[in-house]
Amino acid sequence: MPAESAAAMSHVAHHFENAEKQRTAARLGMWLFLATEVLLFTALFAAYGVYRYLYTSTFSEASRHIETWIGLTNTVVLVTSSFTVAIGLHFATRGKGRLTALFFGLSVLLALVFLGFKAVEYTHHFQEGQLPGRFYTYPEVQGAGASLFFTLYFLITGLHGIHVVIGMTILTVVGVLAFLGKYSPAYHTPVELAGLYWHLVDLIWIFVFPLIYLI
Amino acid sequence: MAEPHAEAQHHDSHVGRYWAVWIALLVFTFLTFGLSRLHIPGGWGVVVALAIAATKGGLVALFFMHLWDQRGANRLVFLTSLVFVALLCALTIADNATRFPLANPPGSEVPRSQSTTPIGLPERAP
Repeated sequence: MPAESAAAMSHVAHHFENAEKQRTAARLGMWLFLATEVLLFTALFAAYGVYRYLYTSTFSEASRHIETWIGLTNTVVLVTSSFTVAIGLHFATRGKGRLTALFFGLSVLLALVFLGFKAVEYTHHFQEGQLPGRFYTYPEVQGAGASLFFTLYFLITGLHGIHVVIGMTILTVVGVLAFLGKYSPAYHTPVELAGLYWHLVDLIWIFVFPLIYLI
Repeated sequence: MAEPHAEAQHHDSHVGRYWAVWIALLVFTFLTFGLSRLHIPGGWGVVVALAIAATKGGLVALFFMHLWDQRGANRLVFLTSLVFVALLCALTIADNATRFPLANPPGSEVPRSQSTTPIGLPERAP
């Protein structure tokens, strides 16, 4: 701690011995939160697993009636946005807040592209009657499991979409603060935690993509 | 005890890694898409797709989320969450897989083994 100047220590709360302990605690707290997020999605994945097991062929059939190219494009878009967030964190560790803002802004734009494709997709589902539960009127895939597939489709991609919107908000706020020079090589924990959240959104989509679109 | 700026210095060499992970993620994305077009029979398509997704997820967690560099508690928390993911998914599916078939919802495609008559109940004319 002796190397830390008083100015660099100003962000350390009084109950932490030094910046390193505060950073470690913040990271651990974020990982605990991310673990609860993982389990939130796992409930839906478990439901998907059960109904896929019970209605295997109907699920495969229904999966062939959604646009795979949109899922593929969105995977590329989201993976790339994760990459730009990682680069943004790199610049934050070097104290280049404006470049962090640039790359976080780029990630938010990519997230908008993701949501745009999702909107195109949802519009198509509404027109075709590929809707959850009793609103399901799509004639080409029938059977007990067909509406269940689209119920789970909307639950999983909907919950994921909400997380995309939350993630965009966090990236925007942290990006603006980075642009204003609020972070330094010694203190950039919010940049790191915002990045962690965005990577989790990406991580979940990496599993959504094959489960919904490919198999 | 580690010096206070150890983590900040760690980040410096990470850009090359980010590029490599990004390219790997794109390659795996197109690989899993390509393999899905082959329609691998016998339920192995699901296994292959999930294995590739797990690889991609591992790359994101280890390198984008820095679990590779951060040993200890953070890894433990994440791995614990994965244990519960496995438990929740495996046990709920195993429940349905081992149920008495008629206890599954109507129209389900689970193979109704030899007889539709509940075991232990006397056969009856309709």
